[in-house]
Amino acid sequence: MFNFGQLRSRNCSASSLSRRALLQAGSLGAVGLTLGDLLRLEASGAEGSPPAKSVILLWLWGGPSHLETFDLKPEAPVEYRGPYRPIPTNVPGIDICELLPRLARQADRYTILRSLHCETNDHGMAGTIGLTGSISGAISLGGQTQPGRIQPTHGSIVSRLLPTGLDLPDFMTVGGRLHQGKRGIAGEGASILGASHEPFRLDYLPGEGLRFPGLELNDGLTPSGLDARRTLLTRLDEVALQIDRSAETTQLDEYYQKAFSLLTSQSSKEVFDLDREPEQIRQRYGKFRFGQCCLLARRLIETGVRFVQVNWSSHVEPIEDTGDGGWDMHDRNFQQFQDRHSWMLDQAVSALFDDLADRGLLSETVVVAIGEFGRTPKINGKAGRDHWHHCYSGLVAGGGLRVGQVIGSSDRHAEHPILRPVTPADLFATVFRQLGIGTPELTDIDLLPAGEVIEELT
Amino acid sequence: MNRLLWAVWMGYVSLIVLPVADADESKSVQRLTHDGHFKQRPAWSPDGNRVLFARHEGSTIFLWQLDLTTGEESRLTERTDPEYDAVFSPSGEDVLLAVDKASPNQGDIDIHVIHLADGNAQPVAVTEGKLSHEEWPSWSPDGKRFTFTSTRHDNQEVYTADRDGQNVERLTGDPATDMHPDWSPNGRTIAFATNRWGDLEIALYDLATHDLRQFTDSPGFDDYPTFSPDGHHIAFTTNRQGHFDIAIANVATGRIILQTDDDSIENFPSWTPDGRVSYISNRDGGFDLYVHDVLTLP
Repeated sequence: MFNFGQLRSRNCSASSLSRRALLQAGSLGAVGLTLGDLLRLEASGAEGSPPAKSVILLWLWGGPSHLETFDLKPEAPVEYRGPYRPIPTNVPGIDICELLPRLARQADRYTILRSLHCETNDHGMAGTIGLTGSISGAISLGGQTQPGRIQPTHGSIVSRLLPTGLDLPDFMTVGGRLHQGKRGIAGEGASILGASHEPFRLDYLPGEGLRFPGLELNDGLTPSGLDARRTLLTRLDEVALQIDRSAETTQLDEYYQKAFSLLTSQSSKEVFDLDREPEQIRQRYGKFRFGQCCLLARRLIETGVRFVQVNWSSHVEPIEDTGDGGWDMHDRNFQQFQDRHSWMLDQAVSALFDDLADRGLLSETVVVAIGEFGRTPKINGKAGRDHWHHCYSGLVAGGGLRVGQVIGSSDRHAEHPILRPVTPADLFATVFRQLGIGTPELTDIDLLPAGEVIEELT
Repeated sequence: MNRLLWAVWMGYVSLIVLPVADADESKSVQRLTHDGHFKQRPAWSPDGNRVLFARHEGSTIFLWQLDLTTGEESRLTERTDPEYDAVFSPSGEDVLLAVDKASPNQGDIDIHVIHLADGNAQPVAVTEGKLSHEEWPSWSPDGKRFTFTSTRHDNQEVYTADRDGQNVERLTGDPATDMHPDWSPNGRTIAFATNRWGDLEIALYDLATHDLRQFTDSPGFDDYPTFSPDGHHIAFTTNRQGHFDIAIANVATGRIILQTDDDSIENFPSWTPDGRVSYISNRDGGFDLYVHDVLTLP
């Protein structure tokens, strides 16, 4: 299968197309290229190079309220609008919440999507959609599984198609496995792409430091505890790897090898060591988990990791509801937002934008900040907002994308998109294009695009 | 030495220069904790020797008591579920606090009272038969009643009750969200935050007449009002400068002076018995408890 429309819309950036795909389709002539042209483009990597090299996905698990962040409705009745006012940003005509002042000063660095929507208001299933672009194989809170095969998550696809050859994994997740209640969700991993493209997990907890949640040891595992190789080998025997059980032994071996090399290599330890950052930088991100995890993401991207996913939390639930601080604010939505989530999001994401820009990395790194859905526009009886998948907002920046704009709009209560509805799959089709991944590359690995490129972003 | 301060009258803002008598900034602000974990709502004992606050650490929120005579911290309870919003009674013998439940329940929070001498705890604001959160208690000056917020009537409203939870009275009934009530030292007024006039403003509720008056009117967030020990002033959090700061308002005139004005977050103001203002701030990176001399009152 070959998508000529996709090729045209990529401005013939042939370097992003696999040679195999072109040859298989016998299409070089059809697009006016010779094999020599293709090889030269591949070698030079110049004019046709994809604009983005890497991705940071900030996964705001639990579903942030769009009415308290990027799509305020101050003219709506008090039962809808919430207690915060919109403030102008540094882009005329774009307003966001008053509790996001730092992000308001950087609106020229991102695009707000105000018309995202998906098929379900179940965390697990919407999470699968957000992370894979498809509801296929998703598992609901009640345990019902959607028909079809679980698709690989975005990071696994990038890992498979854009290997860097670094010692570090190409796809790393900062945070533990995602849950709603006690049920883990589907779609965080590599699926058919195999264990070697599973995310390598690490985490940073204030007061504890670096953790490796995917490697469960009886007494924990930290880089500082792994100086003795013999000890490591003994301990790795105890490791329970939480990866696809159907993975082949060779893939498991590869994963072991990567984990081993990662945990014993001096250069890896240095990448993970946030103490090597100046105190001023650490403070700029905020000395709370999400802030420091964003800083860790920047360090990984700077080292060459292709795709870093930072999970805001592992559970959708807030701490007050036996979770670990997620965005699922069915009650006390405003209390939690103003006390913690608003400034955490504002400080960490604005610092990440600043830091990436200062280092010349923002132009080649796509940053996406989304949750699995939004919150009910009508405030419920517990000063909270419930799940709402019909319309929600997201933020996307960097990687050569067009920024300083709003795409889509919602109706007067932010209940439904009224202009340019887009899906998570559309968003990641766009991200993939920025990385040079199109239909041919996906078909090469037995996948198809789940969404359509949002042209206004490119 | 002169110091620039923003003076704000109801709806009018002007920049004035106020003399500050050789104020040494390092002496006027005292940092009481150093762990950097997020904290909320410091509350002082009547003798000023102890301060309670909630500390977030990992996935826990527990109440801690700092003894300023020894510098030692200790947990207020041995609970394993989240707890917060603790306040000493006027006698210092009891503490009201908000307690959460262990199971995933999407909002079932009650208010209990703990008698500090024996640790005996009793629920005093509980809604049976439905999910409701009762929180942010504040004692009346005689210690016989307390005010709090609850969602028991399907919207967050302000209530009062006897110290044993009897004789509940609902003070507000508006589709807006009412938050963070504080009982005045003269017993006549309850201040709280509400968005009934647009964004969050401070309101004053007269307990005798039931009149409700809008006290602040700023473009943006005004919240967490707390009366000074003499009742003449209200400290509150505002973002009228674009970030969370602590302001003090004169109750009689409405005149307001900002106590902090920098890019860090200052929140959860409370008064010490001797008239200083304490709050949680991330001015040094993490979130810690600070006490601030009030250099100039409005």
